[in-house]
Amino acid sequence: MRKQILSFTLVLFSLLSFAQSTYEKVMKEKIGKIETCKTTEDFQVLANDFQRIADKEKGKWQPNYYAAFSYIQKGRILMRENKVQGLDEVADQAQKYLDDAQNVDKNAETQLLQKMIYSLKMMVNPMERYMTYGTKATEQFNSAEKLDPNNPRIALIKAEDVYFTPEQYGGSKEKGIELFKQALEKFNSYKTKTDLDPNWGKSEAEYFINQAPK
Amino acid sequence: MKIKFHKITFTLFFFSFILNFAQVKISGKVTFKNKGIAEVNVTLKDTYDGATTDAEGNFSFETSEKGAQKLTFSHIKYYEIEKEINIDDKDQTVNVDVKEQINEIDAVVVSAGSIEASDKKRATALLTPIDIYTTAGADGQISSALNYLPGVQKVGETEGLFVRGGTGTESKIFMDGSLINNYFSSSVPGIAGRDRFNTSLFKGNVFSSGGYSALYGQALSGALMLESVDLPDQSSYDFGVSPIFLSGGFQKLGDNKNYSYGATAGYSNLNLMQKIFNFNTDFIDAPQGFNGDMNFRLKTKSGGFIKYYGMFDTNTMGVKTESLEPNYDFALVKLKGKNTYHNLSFKQKFGKYLLNAGTSYSFNQSDLKFSTETNNVEDVESKVSNDGNYINFKAVVDRKINKISALRGGFELNYANEKLNFGEINKNYRDLISSAFMETDLGFSNHLSAKIGVRAENSSYLNKTNIAPRFALAYRLAKDWTTSFAYGLFFQNPESKYINSSAKLDFQQSQHFIFQVQRSTEGRSLRFEAFYKKYDELIKTQNIVPNADQNQQVQTAFNNNGNGFAKGLELFWRDKKTFENIDYWISYSFLDSKRDFLNYPFNLKPNFASEHTISAVAKRFIPKWKTGINLSYTYAKGRPYYDIITQNDINIIRNEGKLKDYNALNLSFNYLPNLGKKDAKAFTIFVLSVSNVLGNKNIYGYNFSQNGNRSSAVVPPVNTFVFVGMFISFGVDKTQDAINNNL
Repeated sequence: MRKQILSFTLVLFSLLSFAQSTYEKVMKEKIGKIETCKTTEDFQVLANDFQRIADKEKGKWQPNYYAAFSYIQKGRILMRENKVQGLDEVADQAQKYLDDAQNVDKNAETQLLQKMIYSLKMMVNPMERYMTYGTKATEQFNSAEKLDPNNPRIALIKAEDVYFTPEQYGGSKEKGIELFKQALEKFNSYKTKTDLDPNWGKSEAEYFINQAPK
Repeated sequence: MKIKFHKITFTLFFFSFILNFAQVKISGKVTFKNKGIAEVNVTLKDTYDGATTDAEGNFSFETSEKGAQKLTFSHIKYYEIEKEINIDDKDQTVNVDVKEQINEIDAVVVSAGSIEASDKKRATALLTPIDIYTTAGADGQISSALNYLPGVQKVGETEGLFVRGGTGTESKIFMDGSLINNYFSSSVPGIAGRDRFNTSLFKGNVFSSGGYSALYGQALSGALMLESVDLPDQSSYDFGVSPIFLSGGFQKLGDNKNYSYGATAGYSNLNLMQKIFNFNTDFIDAPQGFNGDMNFRLKTKSGGFIKYYGMFDTNTMGVKTESLEPNYDFALVKLKGKNTYHNLSFKQKFGKYLLNAGTSYSFNQSDLKFSTETNNVEDVESKVSNDGNYINFKAVVDRKINKISALRGGFELNYANEKLNFGEINKNYRDLISSAFMETDLGFSNHLSAKIGVRAENSSYLNKTNIAPRFALAYRLAKDWTTSFAYGLFFQNPESKYINSSAKLDFQQSQHFIFQVQRSTEGRSLRFEAFYKKYDELIKTQNIVPNADQNQQVQTAFNNNGNGFAKGLELFWRDKKTFENIDYWISYSFLDSKRDFLNYPFNLKPNFASEHTISAVAKRFIPKWKTGINLSYTYAKGRPYYDIITQNDINIIRNEGKLKDYNALNLSFNYLPNLGKKDAKAFTIFVLSVSNVLGNKNIYGYNFSQNGNRSSAVVPPVNTFVFVGMFISFGVDKTQDAINNNL
């Protein structure tokens, strides 16, 4: 009888761990795709994938976080291609998932995404929106940085902002590269709490450092 | 046995495990109107399994789920679809047809006659506060910037928006829905009053050159709806310095960001500039003014929003002109003006209902003193003083039916009490206009929508009631192309300045027919509009004894037998995309109009209507120099002018002619030294603007002597004017506010 109970427990346990690992397995697989996504379509597919997981796994912030992140990346591609018309819609989608994530856990990572959403919104019409979304973006960024000063992604976004800001507005490519290097150092030392926590951005920092004239 | 049992369980479990993992492929196609839809999220409900459709609408995924399942299809632009499927061990195909969701972004909206200028999602947004500040020649004034849009006539000698063959008083200006009675400052004849309201008070505006909504009335030609700003983003202190004015103000934002308050004060004096520049107008008293305003904005706990804005100003000026009469050397006119305006508005959502209520009070006083000068001796001739008290109230309830359909209704009360004192004459004019209105937006699909409204008004002075239907239709021809049609009937009381007898008068009326085709794409918009406007029941007047030595004519209305028409074509093109960092727009208006109204003896081309008006605006910001360069140009074909007198109760034209064509090229620069300096505590903007760079000698009209034998040209106070100014804002990077009051 004892053996039976033991085997039953074993089966139950294996089932449980099996269920657990499916979530983890799927999440890891999808997170791995972030690096391979290139187009807006790629990121839309990824956003949908994370949305599916988020719908099932209520109570976890990561799936919603990644859904929001995928939309943000989609938006950033649109921005680079100067297609600002669709940007508001994409940013609103990102906001929807980020709100869900923040309802579960509000942390430096989600605050950073919030900053990125505000920046996207600002880019729709920088002249008009600098006052509103520009200010909000700065506020969010400062609050995220305060919460987790060693976070490499926060350092990365700061570096990008400086890198793309023209010199007469206080930015520069050289200063940006310096900041990318600092971000890279943080990437090398920063430990995420779990495997599913945000871990993106290192290759981006490396990319910019490699772009720099040697 | 026990072991065996265990083994069996295990095998069973293992087997079922394998079974469970036998993957089945589910594929299909998602279509809308037989076209494949990309980026649809296909999900096997409550599982991780699913896919996203490709460009052709195809999808395919594998799953190990079994039995009765639900498959959902979602996309932001289409209604979500849920399909029940039964998964066995065979692959299956699921095709679905989705239905388009009606939404605000894609829905076509009625735009005939109107140009919206706010930071809404629409790409066609035009003339935001920054656009106004950076339009050369607009002097940072909203009304002047509108001169560069199609349908607005360039009339330099009188304030007001002259829209499509209408007079300046046929356009009304509203703040958050409430009528502004004296939007323009008091002035002397021949010099246009200026905007009293600071451009940066308004976050956006809708300018309608016809066919506007039933929510607005008492305007035969146009309506400008200004939306005031909400809570500021940050507390700040602002200062402005220039040779012609000084201003300072602050805005304080509450700690919880649920309220704010602020005040500004300013003083202006043209004296210094008058000494430097060669003015056409001889100001014996240089225009000077003092103004102050205050505001508070409060978000209530229950989600309501209360806004208050109050202002007052005083201004004086004196002008001396060579007298047209042989007995005198000079004619003098001196102005003293006083004005105060207070607006309180409230907005709150109650479930499906949105309430917008607003009330305003204003008092306006203008005292004009006319005199003559002979051999350096001044002789006081006459005084005209006008006192007006106005109270307005308006309430609108809006109910959403679906995302793009709504029903709204409300009422409006406009009370006016004006006293005129002119020598022996004491006039007291009182009128209460009570209006009720109802309107519905009907969105049939993203391609077709309609707006139907009706407005009823009663005027206590006229003792008459009118009913005005309004109708508009919009249809999307193609992705970027829309077309709309608008029709409306509009009524307006005769202007009180013409009511100087007990003649029985009625509402004046106009009918608008507007057809529009518009193309808007990323960064570009093209707009073509054709209109026909028919005037009826316009008032007819006669001149009553003109003041002998002034070119001031007093007219009195005696019936509503006037009529007229205006028709035309307009073209507008704005492009922010073709040239990097350059934003430009071009507008052309063709106007054909004739009226028999006021003292016109018969149908005439009105003296405020130019047949062809072309204007162009270009702006370029050079990031490297932190400098913006702005250019604008206006050409207007010469308007007609008339010298009409009343002889034996009959109006006759004594002199007439055509003005020369109007031309003006304006230039302005904005330099923002602290732009992008994150650590800078103050944000500074330097402005340099030159109006009428080429020094064209424009003429706005002619004044005639009493006998009609002598005349003098009405010209702008100065041909070419240079303005320099500096604006500093502490506490916040306030780019847009600073290029302010740019005279």
